[in-house]
Amino acid sequence: MRDFVVPKTDTKIQGEVRLEYAFQLTAHYDPPKVSQTPKGAFRYQDIVSGEVRGAHLNATVYPDSGGQYDTVRSDKIRDVDAHFMLKAENGEWIYMEHVGYRRPDGYYRAIAYVDAETKGAYDWLNNTTFVVTAQESADQREVVFHYYVAN
Amino acid sequence: MSTEFPGGPEAMPISRRNFLGAAASAGAGAALGAGITRAASPERDAGGGGSSSAQATYYEGPDPKSPKVGLRWAFSATVFFADRVMINSITSPTGRGYTSVGGGEIWGPRLQGRVLPHSGADYYKTTFSTYYMFEASDGALIFIHNRGTMRRFQSRPEPGQPLVPPSDPQAAGWTRFRATPVFTAPSGPHEWMNRTVFVADAKRQSNPDHTVFTYYEVL
Repeated sequence: MRDFVVPKTDTKIQGEVRLEYAFQLTAHYDPPKVSQTPKGAFRYQDIVSGEVRGAHLNATVYPDSGGQYDTVRSDKIRDVDAHFMLKAENGEWIYMEHVGYRRPDGYYRAIAYVDAETKGAYDWLNNTTFVVTAQESADQREVVFHYYVAN
Repeated sequence: MSTEFPGGPEAMPISRRNFLGAAASAGAGAALGAGITRAASPERDAGGGGSSSAQATYYEGPDPKSPKVGLRWAFSATVFFADRVMINSITSPTGRGYTSVGGGEIWGPRLQGRVLPHSGADYYKTTFSTYYMFEASDGALIFIHNRGTMRRFQSRPEPGQPLVPPSDPQAAGWTRFRATPVFTAPSGPHEWMNRTVFVADAKRQSNPDHTVFTYYEVL
């Protein structure tokens, strides 16, 4: 491997991230289906429906447009990998992806990547990074997500 | 706006070709202005964050039942780049960029070390997706897959408002450059990185070409 000499700079600068509340998603799922795989337990959960409510986004989850494709690790933490579609109240399509962790201690956090129509009413979602909190119901059939813009 | 949102006014054109010429003064201004956050202060977190943690800042939504979400500075990384290559153009359906990582350093309350030299690159399309390695001061190798967006706007993005492209590509505008890494760390002192969501501010610097990432744990 080639070596690398780190140039001398005076740029130990401190960048800032602030969160700004954006919207809430209540999602309804079928019961999870868990299968054992060489890579851990695979947990699939179909997203059946859902509602998004917020000052600048109101939408429904497009039924059966995806779900969660999580891996349950040996330390019981779930690697969350969710993909589904929204239909906004004006009919425009929105894609949502979640990447995060759901831990046995109640920590359920994710990053959401969202794609909307660039010429549509929800272009502000594009190129926005969302920090997400999630709360699961006891039967894991309902999850409430809260989305914060990482400004 | 500059007081309330110190990340904004120093924003630079994001074209990788014109960046280097335009950004020469960005870093110092960003660093020495109001950019030091409460979360980045060296004060100890009395809330059980450990002996080597920065202070956390918490945010909440309108629903009192919803959990508060916190950000706490974990560490920072300065990453120096080497090669910049494009396959086709970025606007082509098959446009792919390659920006190799030369090396760098990592500092902060929860991780210290260096970027393993020449250990990977950004293989971006319209969003970046960077794969390389950290080498912690104890020798541990930590894989980082960093995703995110870098885009410039006329003004600070507002929820519900359209994103207005800059009228003059060379003029300063609002750059939203956020990085969201997923780490794979070995079992041991760094394994908390495998179960923590992170979000980072990233600031491109020139002379030499590098980026400073400030990584926050999402609490």
